[in-house]
Amino acid sequence: MVLKVVLRNLQKHPFLNLVKIIGLGLALTGIIFIALFLKNELTYDSFHQKSAQIYRYTTTDPDFFSGKHFARVINPGYIHEMSDALPEVEEFVRLRPVRGGLMKYDERYYKIAQAFECDSTFFNVFDAKMLIGNKETVLENPASMVVTQSFAQKVFGERNPVGEVLTLPSGQYYGEDQDFTIAGVMEDFPANSHFHPDFVATPLANQFAYGWAWTYLVLNENTTVENVTVGISDYLKNNREANPEEMDTEVHLQRISDIHLNSHKLREIEENSNIRNVYVLAIAAFILLLISISNYANLNIGMSGFSAKYLFINKLLGSSKSAVVKYFFFEGICILGAALLFTVLLSVPVNTGVIRFYKLNLLAGNSTTIVLLVLAFSLLSLVFGMLPVLKSVFSSIRLGGNRSSAVAVHRNGVSRVLIVFQYAFSIALIITVIVISRQTNYALKHSMGVEQDNVLCFESVHASIQQKFGVLKEELLQYNSIESVSAMLEPPGGEANDMFPFEMEGYESENPEQNFESIGVFPCDYSFASIFNLQFLAGNNFTENNKDNEGLGEYIINKAAMERLHYSNPDEIIGKDFKLIFSTPGSGITIPKGKIIGVVEDFHLSSLRKQVEPLVLFKRDKLWLLNFVVSFKPGMKEEALADMKKVWGELFPEYPFQYEHVNAMYKRVYKAELLQARLLSVFTLIALFICSMGLFGLALIITQNRTKEIGVRKVNGARVSEILTLLNKDYIKWVALAFVIACPAAWFAMDKWLENFAYKTTLSWWIFVVAGVLALGIALFTVSFQSYRAASRNPVEALRYE
Amino acid sequence: MIQLKNIDKYYDAKFQRTFVLKGVNLDIDQGEFVSIMGPSGAGKSTLLNIIGFLDEPNEGEYLFLDQPANQLKEKQKVQYHRSHIGFIFQAFHLIEEMNVYENIETPLVYRGVKGKERKAMVAEMLDRFNIVAKKDLFPSQLSGGQQQLVAIARAIVGSPKLLLADEPTGNLHSEQGQMIMELLKKLNDEGMTIIQVTHSEENAKYGNRIVRLKDGYLKEDE
Repeated sequence: MVLKVVLRNLQKHPFLNLVKIIGLGLALTGIIFIALFLKNELTYDSFHQKSAQIYRYTTTDPDFFSGKHFARVINPGYIHEMSDALPEVEEFVRLRPVRGGLMKYDERYYKIAQAFECDSTFFNVFDAKMLIGNKETVLENPASMVVTQSFAQKVFGERNPVGEVLTLPSGQYYGEDQDFTIAGVMEDFPANSHFHPDFVATPLANQFAYGWAWTYLVLNENTTVENVTVGISDYLKNNREANPEEMDTEVHLQRISDIHLNSHKLREIEENSNIRNVYVLAIAAFILLLISISNYANLNIGMSGFSAKYLFINKLLGSSKSAVVKYFFFEGICILGAALLFTVLLSVPVNTGVIRFYKLNLLAGNSTTIVLLVLAFSLLSLVFGMLPVLKSVFSSIRLGGNRSSAVAVHRNGVSRVLIVFQYAFSIALIITVIVISRQTNYALKHSMGVEQDNVLCFESVHASIQQKFGVLKEELLQYNSIESVSAMLEPPGGEANDMFPFEMEGYESENPEQNFESIGVFPCDYSFASIFNLQFLAGNNFTENNKDNEGLGEYIINKAAMERLHYSNPDEIIGKDFKLIFSTPGSGITIPKGKIIGVVEDFHLSSLRKQVEPLVLFKRDKLWLLNFVVSFKPGMKEEALADMKKVWGELFPEYPFQYEHVNAMYKRVYKAELLQARLLSVFTLIALFICSMGLFGLALIITQNRTKEIGVRKVNGARVSEILTLLNKDYIKWVALAFVIACPAAWFAMDKWLENFAYKTTLSWWIFVVAGVLALGIALFTVSFQSYRAASRNPVEALRYE
Repeated sequence: MIQLKNIDKYYDAKFQRTFVLKGVNLDIDQGEFVSIMGPSGAGKSTLLNIIGFLDEPNEGEYLFLDQPANQLKEKQKVQYHRSHIGFIFQAFHLIEEMNVYENIETPLVYRGVKGKERKAMVAEMLDRFNIVAKKDLFPSQLSGGQQQLVAIARAIVGSPKLLLADEPTGNLHSEQGQMIMELLKKLNDEGMTIIQVTHSEENAKYGNRIVRLKDGYLKEDE
């Protein structure tokens, strides 16, 4: 029976109830998706059975790349003996990246995104579901390969690939073709893994002695990380150090489950996320929860007047307090039920969108989590939505009669606090979104080649293509659509980590004990500076050829390098003798001695999170030019692409024509920030929407409650404008208070957030003003409709209405 | 049945105390039909509310069926509302969201009367007040007199011992008012104790005793 009354009562105020339903539904949808996304982020690599025991091993050394922390280990040949020597280490595996990006099968090249040469112990460390083959034996032999399902499908279709031979083509990285025999097929690694290889393979011979490999150790359950760290240090000291007393190599062990969120080393396998993103999103979800529940509670308080009479009469007729609770409980259940339905309807398109853009099916396999979330959310909104209502109902009900319907919202302290609080969060969210978007734009704008918006990049091309760079450049420049062509060591957005020792005329080392000091280097084609519009502070660009003769080498340095070399006036360093020393024996590579011919303003090749490092640009012919960049003339993108494809097809018919817009590459660098900005704008919109709807509903209730007052005031001569002021004054006060609360909090949070960046925008005052004005504008726009209607109503009508 | 001893009811404002009732003494026996009269603001409704456990006195003692009211627990008050006391109001106070049948049925539901029995009791009331045809209508679809009939039916369906009526005819025209008063008289004849608040001397005469209130004091008891 109560239910029947509840339903009839709900129907009487369809709009206000719809506001409640939409508010709760939107918030619940948001919270479910955030929570599932966070779950995904926080469970990275935990699917490995030994996840708690797997640690990634790295070392740092101040003498080696100035102590830069790489995620990989150099020359990891010793890992095997080290593991044998340490009883605490149960197992190890090394992953050497398969480089070159291509595999050959049946005279065709296939692009690989990521693949490793590994030890035969791969499956003893990592868990992967085998579809064909036995984990224990599949990698027993050298040159055995296990491919993932999707890669197998790409190359072999539905055929069983076991026994087929894939070739790693010779080129820059490999002296000759290497054949691997497929021995098994495994499932693709799940989304929440910090690496996703297309295949893993054991090398032909032990090739781990030189080069780099990501190295993972499985530690004994009964040992501690500190123990093992000390053990490894001792091992290195006794076995690998020429000078054990002075060893300053530091050993680092990082738990595999910490890699995704807490690792910021160089040369990670994939771009990692950041624990800050998790915090930002968790806070957003929490705010959403608070806003939606407070909004719901507030509307409940406002609307409790509508059922006050019913409850009063019921008390006369002998209903107990529990019946009142029951009434509001049923009402809550109905609203929540409808909100759940709305959530279900909303989740389908949202999930489709998430799958399309982020390749993440958040809803799949998470039913328990979802049910728990829904239950928790329902319980919270039921309890906190009902509490303030029950409180005000119980205190007013005994006074009896219609008077209790005037649970005056505009005088109700709880309501006021809730509204102020909602708006404070909304304003803070608006500020956050503006700051994050501004910083992301700032970073993108200052990234190399983004502002010109006409640069395309062929990333890490194959060695045989690199050899023909000169031909490609010459051919391309014959076309009217092509503006410039250049090449360089690192792709836009990449890390320029390489350092060479150097000598310079008149340079005195700060540290005389060291023979040579090193400086960051960046081999490139002669038109590098012009294609990216580098600003010359002094001197000139390279001469137009890539070959330098001994004694006539040309070096361009950036401002950071100039300061590194103890100069402050760029004109003074021009013409100084300079030499880079490349000292890999047997490589046959020499870098000609020469002079510094130019100084350029610092440019942002890498992320703006990091300080720009000193960098020496020098030209190389057919060496170290891994990445090609091509700029086209404005407005001729289509023609340029067609021309490039044509030239590429003629020169390199067997290689895929794959290019990327430089803008897109930098967007990948700021993926996390862009994602944050996008998600936060969505949440801000939702939050603002919920707040506005709630305020709209409250305004409706308040003006209804004050209809008589307004009528009386008008009969006594108040103008519409005066009534409007009277009604809107409160809202302005609330938003102003919210603004005062929100600003310092947002300023503090954003100041912290901006610390992520070495180069950042300012937290200008206008951002705060815009946020405040926006919130006030939305609030006034929302309530003015109601206020105006109430104010302009014929007072006679208003009084009769009462 | 009802004993009020030295009842005070007041509201405290910042600097002064406003008395609504002051030193009210009143005894009402079972079977009486008492009319409380007095000018606006005299405290009539407040007195009725105190008797009906809708309000509490600040001072004094109230015995209901020889039980001190201030010692009653909330549960017992609810119990009295369920089984001993019926209310009628000037503004009828029917539940807008319920039709006639459901309005009359509600107190029986709270009392825990079984479905079948409930049906019979409501049917008897509808029959007695001649509103069978109206049982599916909602209050807004009824005239004032009809609404008050439903309200009375609802008040007495559980055969309470005490019926409290706050200006039951105040919103009705004289003919309808007369009909309602006849009905109350009849109920009193059947043994129900009735206390009504009224402005009308005429209506007051339906009862067998008149109590006059002025400025919170009990002026006269005839």
